[in-house]
Amino acid sequence: MFWRMVRGAVFRQRGRVLMIALTVALGASLATAMLGVMLDVGDKVNRELKTYGANINVIPKGASLLGDLYGVEDGSGVSDQYLPESELGSIKTIFWAFNIVDFAPYLDARAVLNGGGDVSLTGTWFDKRLELPTGETLVTGVRGMKSWWDVTGEWLAPGDTHAAMVGSAVAERNGLIAGDTISVGYAGRSVDFLVKGVFDAGGSEDDRIFVPLGAAQELTGREGRVSRIEVSALTTPDNELSRRAAQDPQSLSVKDWETWYCTAYVSAICYQIQEVIPGAIAKPIRQVAESEGAILEKTQFLMLLITVLSLAGSALGISNLVTASVMERSREIGLLKAIGAHNSPVSRLVLTETLAIAAIGGAAGYFAGLGFAQIIGQTVFGSAVEPKPMVAPIVAVLVVAVTLAGSIPSIRLLLSLRPAEVLHGR
Amino acid sequence: MGNNILELREISKIYGSVGALRDVSLTVSQGEWIAIMGPSGSGKTTMMNIIGCMDKPTSGAVILDGMDISRESQKGLTNIRRDKIGLIFQQFHLINYLTALENVMVAQYYHSMPDEGEALRALQRVGLGERARHLPSQLSGGEQQRVCIARALINYPRLILADEPTGNLDETNEGIVLDIFRQLHGEGSTIIVVTHDPEVAEDAQRTIVLEHGRVARVTHS
Repeated sequence: MFWRMVRGAVFRQRGRVLMIALTVALGASLATAMLGVMLDVGDKVNRELKTYGANINVIPKGASLLGDLYGVEDGSGVSDQYLPESELGSIKTIFWAFNIVDFAPYLDARAVLNGGGDVSLTGTWFDKRLELPTGETLVTGVRGMKSWWDVTGEWLAPGDTHAAMVGSAVAERNGLIAGDTISVGYAGRSVDFLVKGVFDAGGSEDDRIFVPLGAAQELTGREGRVSRIEVSALTTPDNELSRRAAQDPQSLSVKDWETWYCTAYVSAICYQIQEVIPGAIAKPIRQVAESEGAILEKTQFLMLLITVLSLAGSALGISNLVTASVMERSREIGLLKAIGAHNSPVSRLVLTETLAIAAIGGAAGYFAGLGFAQIIGQTVFGSAVEPKPMVAPIVAVLVVAVTLAGSIPSIRLLLSLRPAEVLHGR
Repeated sequence: MGNNILELREISKIYGSVGALRDVSLTVSQGEWIAIMGPSGSGKTTMMNIIGCMDKPTSGAVILDGMDISRESQKGLTNIRRDKIGLIFQQFHLINYLTALENVMVAQYYHSMPDEGEALRALQRVGLGERARHLPSQLSGGEQQRVCIARALINYPRLILADEPTGNLDETNEGIVLDIFRQLHGEGSTIIVVTHDPEVAEDAQRTIVLEHGRVARVTHS
């Protein structure tokens, strides 16, 4: 009989049921969408931030020491320390290989432009198709990593062996435009390059000329060598463990070490890069890594806040609707009490009805929320949000908790109802 | 006096400074049909609430089926109501999302155990066997009142308490309901009817007239 009453209350009072179900559905859909996006936003924001450059710098150990002792900047071309180009593919073999989005090697040198003044020359990959030790292929280089460059002319293509991209400051000083030919000299040798593009990076790179890595190696006589590597990796925001590990990984307990190593902290990825490139020091570009972490944490916090607020709003809505419903049904509840029902069975009946309605609304809201998450994903990040299996049980628990919390005032009202008052007005 | 089902001993009910009932005494024998009449505000409803265990007197004693219920807890009163009293209301108070049959079974459910066959027989007894699967909104006023009567009778109460049972009915339906009451009385049921209607009171063996919370007069038919 209990379930017949619940069924009757749920399916034969559609107007009232619909209002409560709709309120629950709204809360559940927002919670589902926000939780879905929140759990997926790490990768999304990370990928978004990766379009603004590298977050790890890999340099030879010796160059790192020079930097630490004498303040010699990476890429100035004065340190005589290099990394082997042949080891670059190993970066994609580390434990967190999947999180390495892009990387590019650089060979820096001080060269002479058109037989005149000094200029910073950098050899690099633009759109390099790389055969990995795993048998896979990867297209990587500055074109992917420096997507914000404002280029007049064209990017260098893989077949351009004697072409160059000139920084806007160099171009301005020397009156260069795309289509010009420049002569770059180094230690008595000289090579001509066609200027395919002039770029504005908005930083120190505007003072450089970028040429294909092979051409720079040939000009400087440093075949197979690079000065540094910039790596763009998807990382997890730092926490206390990662900060301790960054100072000294050996100080961690075995369990902490495993946790750290198996989490995509920037320090763990740096450590793993050092493992595969002997003689290299991988350093996080702190400002970038920390900014990314801060943006990620703030975005997740915002999502969580919206989830909590939407659930609180839903709880208030449910509370009002259920209380209004109990008031509306006060005669029915009074009657049940009059014919012998005690408070607890009546409360159980009303709660079960409300939970049954909430289950219907929650299920509808969950599926609507999955749709909202996709809309948010496509609108904000331009990609789908992957549904996370853990969202369904979390939303179920939240719906039950919010419904029970929202029902408290109505249950208190129900307990205070006296049959004589509601049936006879006294 | 061992045959008495109900005894009110000088009961009073005071709401704030207003006395709804003052020193009312009444004895009802097993199988008796009593009508309680009086103008609005005379204390009829208060008296019905007290007899129906939905309220307690401020003073005095209520002996129902040999048991003093005037000091019972709310829980105890609920149990007495469930076991001994069948309530019939002017507004019927049917649950609108349950069928006629389910409305009767609700009373069984909170009493002991629902029995669909027995509930259906109760509806057949009041002439509603064919309408058992209808919702209250699909029934006329008279039919709804008969469902209410079937619900009141389903647990074999010691006392049937009816509040203006024909107040919302037309003449035809009033006749049907009174016929059911006559039949119940004939079978030995104890009935107390609160009414404004002298025609309803006519069938009662005794009519108690209340005025200003006191018994003004008692007439025997």
